[in-house]
Amino acid sequence: MKAIFKRELRSYFLTLTGYVFFTMFLLLGGFLIYNMNITNGYTSVNNTIKNFINWETFILPILTMRMFAEDRKLKTDQLLLTSPVPVRSIVIAKFFAAFVMVFAALVVVFLCTASFRFFGRINWAEMISSYIGFLLLCGVVLAIGEFMSSLTDSMIVAAFSTYAVLIVTVFLGSRAGVVSGKASEILLWLSPTERFNDFAMGILDPAALVYYISIIVLFIAITIQTTERRRFS
Amino acid sequence: MIEVKNLTKHFGDKKAVDDISFTVNDNEVLGFLGPNGAGKSTTMNMLTGYIGATSGEIKIGGVDILQNPIEAKKKIGYLPEQPPLYPEMTVKEYLTFVAELKGIKDIKKEIKAAAEKVGLCDVMSRRIGNLSKGYKQRTGFGAALLGDPEVLILDEPTVGLDPKQIKDIRSLIRSLGKSHTVILSSHILPEINAVSDRILVINNGKIAAEDTPQNLSKTNSGDKVKRMIMKIDGEAEKIEEVLDSLDGVTYEKLEGEGEYELNIAGASSDTGKKIFFAFAKAELAILEQREEELSLEDIFLELTKEKGDNK
Repeated sequence: MKAIFKRELRSYFLTLTGYVFFTMFLLLGGFLIYNMNITNGYTSVNNTIKNFINWETFILPILTMRMFAEDRKLKTDQLLLTSPVPVRSIVIAKFFAAFVMVFAALVVVFLCTASFRFFGRINWAEMISSYIGFLLLCGVVLAIGEFMSSLTDSMIVAAFSTYAVLIVTVFLGSRAGVVSGKASEILLWLSPTERFNDFAMGILDPAALVYYISIIVLFIAITIQTTERRRFS
Repeated sequence: MIEVKNLTKHFGDKKAVDDISFTVNDNEVLGFLGPNGAGKSTTMNMLTGYIGATSGEIKIGGVDILQNPIEAKKKIGYLPEQPPLYPEMTVKEYLTFVAELKGIKDIKKEIKAAAEKVGLCDVMSRRIGNLSKGYKQRTGFGAALLGDPEVLILDEPTVGLDPKQIKDIRSLIRSLGKSHTVILSSHILPEINAVSDRILVINNGKIAAEDTPQNLSKTNSGDKVKRMIMKIDGEAEKIEEVLDSLDGVTYEKLEGEGEYELNIAGASSDTGKKIFFAFAKAELAILEQREEELSLEDIFLELTKEKGDNK
């Protein structure tokens, strides 16, 4: 598992992928912070991150699209699946390699916003819980992306099918107003972005934490299952 | 070392591998021979646990590949048809990665040993993407050798290599065969013939024949039928008259002038003599007379044709 994790992480930097991801993520983060915090002299990052969430949808599949699709195209899945390593270790190692990339990028963004402390007061609880929520939400996106990548051997298909799923889920909450009553409640309950609102207010709601972690575990589990199943089809 | 029982694999409606069973003994080199699409690679992919079988049983050194895949896979070094390489890595990085995957302890020593065996020492720090086909193949081979697995499964190991490299790889396989169990596949006969102790001819997912290269040519040349090519100086009519008079001889006219192919049933050591005197009596000069032995190539074509015709 460690070997695959290390190789995945390295390959992000041996290819352009890692650099493209960092550039886009940090440019976007910088732009949003400048636009929403610096020009307004506002230290609260919850709205900045809410905006960020809408955009990261388009950045994170850069990391996930190649996960299995590329291995299948290069036939290196033959190496991984015939090595004495269980499938779950392969799937988990790949997930964590991408997760570490997002974590690293997020640390940089966090340090930028934390530096507001020198110019004003920061509500630390709100800021830290916002980042925790954001990181978990990114984990959800990565797990969905990994699953999509395990279904195809084309990176493009993997990326676009991830976009499709994310567009539906990210905007699920905002569509909830269209319908009323129970339907609206269900949509809000399902929407991963709605769950973020608690984090943005500085509340570490166990229900929301469990929700995010469950979705991550769920998608990793079905990725393991589809990879195992595929060998018998 | 390897036991395969009633192995079957369906891809949708197509039966890629159809109920095959065989065993491979310790330190034996088994050659899979068959036309493209016969089911060689599918069988190998099942042996290595890359794909699952529809039904059947595979045991590697007594360990079932489905029930205990990790233990079984530890015993196998696999070189697939297309070596599974990461183009962005250097050879050394790649071999290190594979060694880590296999959980090898003394990584440096193992890599050095494998690189020396397959001749990779000069390209260790080069990117795999920039290597020639031959070096890529060798990198894949080197990776399969890491950890000195008891079983080596090599899918068309010499494809894309130049003649010198083919010779090197063949002698490497032969020397490895002394202390390893090796299965290799090919659709090229001389290759299988050169290195295998035993040959398994696969066609349409079934085993068409199984024997040593020597026995295989014997059994199929069967019933002491001899083939002879003759070139005779003279008129066609006269020649055919003589041929008709010979017992148990059927013939066919070949393209060249005065050239015939003879099939002699119940041939004995003095058959050649008889034929010679028959022509001498008719005052026809024999310009050429040679016996054709059934080569593996003929046997292969025959075996694979028969099956195809039955369909």
